[in-house]
Amino acid sequence: MANLPEEQFMETIAAQAELRDAQPAPTNLKAKIYSALVLRQAESGVLASLTESRARGQEICIFEQLVQTAPVGEAVKCLNFCRVCHARVLAEHFENPPIYWSGCPYVQFKKS
Amino acid sequence: MHQLRQQAFGGSEEPNPSTSDDLSLVAAVLSKDRKATAEFVARFADGLYAYVRSRLTPRCDEVDDLVQEIFLAAWANLSRYQGSGPLQAWVMGIARHKIEDYYRARLRVLDPIEDNDHDHSASAVVPELHRALERDELRTKTKSVLASLPESYRLALIWRYWEQASAREMAIKTGKTEKAIERLLARARAEFRERWNYGQSA
Repeated sequence: MANLPEEQFMETIAAQAELRDAQPAPTNLKAKIYSALVLRQAESGVLASLTESRARGQEICIFEQLVQTAPVGEAVKCLNFCRVCHARVLAEHFENPPIYWSGCPYVQFKKS
Repeated sequence: MHQLRQQAFGGSEEPNPSTSDDLSLVAAVLSKDRKATAEFVARFADGLYAYVRSRLTPRCDEVDDLVQEIFLAAWANLSRYQGSGPLQAWVMGIARHKIEDYYRARLRVLDPIEDNDHDHSASAVVPELHRALERDELRTKTKSVLASLPESYRLALIWRYWEQASAREMAIKTGKTEKAIERLLARARAEFRERWNYGQSA
């Protein structure tokens, strides 16, 4: 390889050396991206209600369950609750946030 | 039940999710199902992050912003996904365009480095140290040499040889002439090889 012309040398290096490593995305980056996406979704219209999420087989968190079973209209169940949840704040700022309950996306990002 | 899951791009260990699975995820995200949105992030974040990081190293301070930008662009265009291929490849296509945009913007503002006094002909006779390099060592050394290069050289080489853009494409996208890109690549290759052979302080 040492005596290869430069063009061929680079092609050989590029073919043999994949630059990607297996380092996963930081938890707080995933949390920030999720928050940004849901914020954008909420800005462009109402979110799917928690009832719909459950109907699709999705798990909802303990706080969402409270809202979902409360005697409130579907419109309330479409609000972006994560925006005011301490789990979001912790997950966006810490790599291993102290949040543990099931059904919370921010907790799931820790596991993924 | 949908489960959040992680899937790395480019890995052959895991099978691609079926297109119907992709389509149902896309439909759920488009209906603004927040749980599906979380799954969307969890499924692609690690692979995208690894890809972007590898293409921007050592400028890792910009990786997070670019990954987030890719996700926002993917979400904004999600209705265009028709299921003709894996969602993973579709998202990766958006990532490639974003990386190209990044290279284009950077190469437009960076001054190409003029030829220096290095005697590049010396590269023709070099120690064959790399012959014994294992794949990991090769990768480590390649990343290290790339990281040591001036930014314009590094971006040009990654764009040309790892992203496999032609000099013509690079010229069109950066608004430079093909000859200018060829000259930039020639200098970058020579510098890469010199640092590869003789150490990064060359």
